[in-house]
Amino acid sequence: MVKIKWTVKALLLTATACCASAANAFQGKPILVINPSQDRPRLAVPDFKAGTTDPQTGPLNTVFNQTLWNDLDNAGIFDMVAKSFYPLLTPGQPAEIKEAAWGNPPPNAGLLAFGNLGANSGKVDVQGWLFDVKNAGAPPILGKQYREDATPDKAREIAHRFADEIISRLGAGVPGIAESKIFFISTRTGSKEVWSMDYDGANQQQLTHLGSVALSPRISPDRSRLVFSGLTKDSWQIMMYSLELGRLVAFPRSGGDNISPAWSSDGSRVAFASSRGQGGTEIYLADSSGGGSRRLTTGHINVSPVFNPKTNGQIAFVSGQSGLPQLYTMDADGSNVQRITDQGYAVSPSWSPNGLLLAFSWIRNYGPGVVGGADIYLMDIASRQIVQLTHDSGRNDFPSWSPDGRHIVFQSTRGGTEQIWSVLADGTHLQQLTREGRNTQPNWSYQ
Amino acid sequence: MAYARANMFYERESWRKPLALSLGFHALLGLCILLVGFMLTPNGSSKWGEDQGSAITIQMVSGAPIPIPKPEVQTDNIVANPSEAVTQAPPQPKATETEDGVTIPGQVIKPKIDNVVKKANVQPHPIPTPTTAVPYGEGPPPTGPYGAFTAPNTKGGFSFQNASFAGKYGWYLDVVRRKVQQNWLGYEIDPHINAPHRAYIDFDILGDGSIANVQLVQSSGIPTLDQSAMRALQRVDTFGRLPEGNKLSVEFWFEYPPR
Repeated sequence: MVKIKWTVKALLLTATACCASAANAFQGKPILVINPSQDRPRLAVPDFKAGTTDPQTGPLNTVFNQTLWNDLDNAGIFDMVAKSFYPLLTPGQPAEIKEAAWGNPPPNAGLLAFGNLGANSGKVDVQGWLFDVKNAGAPPILGKQYREDATPDKAREIAHRFADEIISRLGAGVPGIAESKIFFISTRTGSKEVWSMDYDGANQQQLTHLGSVALSPRISPDRSRLVFSGLTKDSWQIMMYSLELGRLVAFPRSGGDNISPAWSSDGSRVAFASSRGQGGTEIYLADSSGGGSRRLTTGHINVSPVFNPKTNGQIAFVSGQSGLPQLYTMDADGSNVQRITDQGYAVSPSWSPNGLLLAFSWIRNYGPGVVGGADIYLMDIASRQIVQLTHDSGRNDFPSWSPDGRHIVFQSTRGGTEQIWSVLADGTHLQQLTREGRNTQPNWSYQ
Repeated sequence: MAYARANMFYERESWRKPLALSLGFHALLGLCILLVGFMLTPNGSSKWGEDQGSAITIQMVSGAPIPIPKPEVQTDNIVANPSEAVTQAPPQPKATETEDGVTIPGQVIKPKIDNVVKKANVQPHPIPTPTTAVPYGEGPPPTGPYGAFTAPNTKGGFSFQNASFAGKYGWYLDVVRRKVQQNWLGYEIDPHINAPHRAYIDFDILGDGSIANVQLVQSSGIPTLDQSAMRALQRVDTFGRLPEGNKLSVEFWFEYPPR
């Protein structure tokens, strides 16, 4: 048995945060600290060496190296060592590694990911390792071997898988997101259809062919089914699309409009808003096949439910019961309703995977002549502290958390038209993912 | 004649002409001196000592072969000690013989106290050496970032008794430390604490990286600090699969505010 002792001291930053009252939280000071740890491990990733002299090796290696670097850089948990600091001789095998050259300045890396890639008769072989270079003689953290068809898509996929392995080891058991998908609505075919893409914007594919309007795509936790609201001849209905079958599957339709569906994180239940009953639009809860639906809210316009993915015992939603839309939370049985925003125009809640944070779109000061548009905000549910994620750049809406809880994808008009962007939860690493047509309402897969 | 005498005594003598002559001759004389001086020195300027051609040798006076009188130096001889001129210095205590030998003069001798406990009854208290202890100077130097860490407003360190795990899997310890640190929310602690307080918490990491047996070993005395530390660990789902073994016991210190 091993006995380890540690000491940790509090961040003064968070200490000052607690001094600020809840009123201060609304004065525009970002006092909620997201991911406060600044001491990220320094990771060096030299280009993989060519394993064979096959003419395909060069182009595949370029794709692989580019993808691997971007994946690790986007992960948000590494301090990437710039390639200009690297020694001239880079290793392709563990025997070639010189720990001192990497572990000391100028690279001063703590970790080194390296390997080789070689194409041979239509197949590509990749060997990759991860070493702790500060600790010479220690066993490798990771050693992996991949063999796939020699195509750029497969090279990219191998890079994603290797990056996810590295991120999983060093990200404290949180799997990487390089293999995750983002589902969104695009107008590039003329009608609003559901599309999917890789997390980095590559490999964009159309899924539905409704010929009308699809909104609010939500992928199931096991990534087998996609629920969305589609416009039929006379009303909005919840529709279920099977990714395994590649077609729509049955989901009961009802009177009135049915919109804004949401999955529970165990995939057993679907919540949505419906105007089927008397009065306004209310939130209903059904099982994943649409059966056994029952109403949770009463009396007002209540839409956009979203489950707390950690417990599935809480639902955040948008309600217009006090005039302008505001965020509320309630227990999954409809009790204990609490209002959590107190001003402006707050919509599109998205719950972080660990259940601690809520991302939403907020026009903080709403009204004629008021400066400021819709921006993405994060709220710590327990303390109600708020931090603003986007600033002064177009209308930003529909945030969705990545499965690792480190990234957020959202829709923004900062580039002129509505496009999909992703950002780290601390506000860095902003990047545009879509460019063609109008692309809205992104939803990040659960894995 | 009388007229001449009268003139001789009563006529005023004229001084002007001889005075002017005298001044003229004096001026001429001064001019001549200047002219001669200029004519004798080339270029109209004199460079003193330039034509001498040889350096001056100075010999040390003391090195002179003949005895020379010493210069008179004023010494401040004091006839008597101004402070103790009247009284004499106290006499040194004489060395006396004791049973242990001869005492040193001036030494203060403590009164001897008989040992209450007899030597035969004293139990020895040897400090047990840990089995994993490394003799001083023989262990490897602490390498890598795992021994201590510093971040903005954060300072700390940790120690471990099993060096083999840390030596092989320092990266894993780094992951654990970072994850706990991230999950520890400072705003849960009462902000009015001034002096640093420390809470000790033990827990186990199981083979699949999950966390078990979280217990407060020693309270800091601040309930909110204890609770925030416990919550920091309860928020952790997993640290990732253990690279070796199926259990790792860890002790964390949570110190607030940082010193």
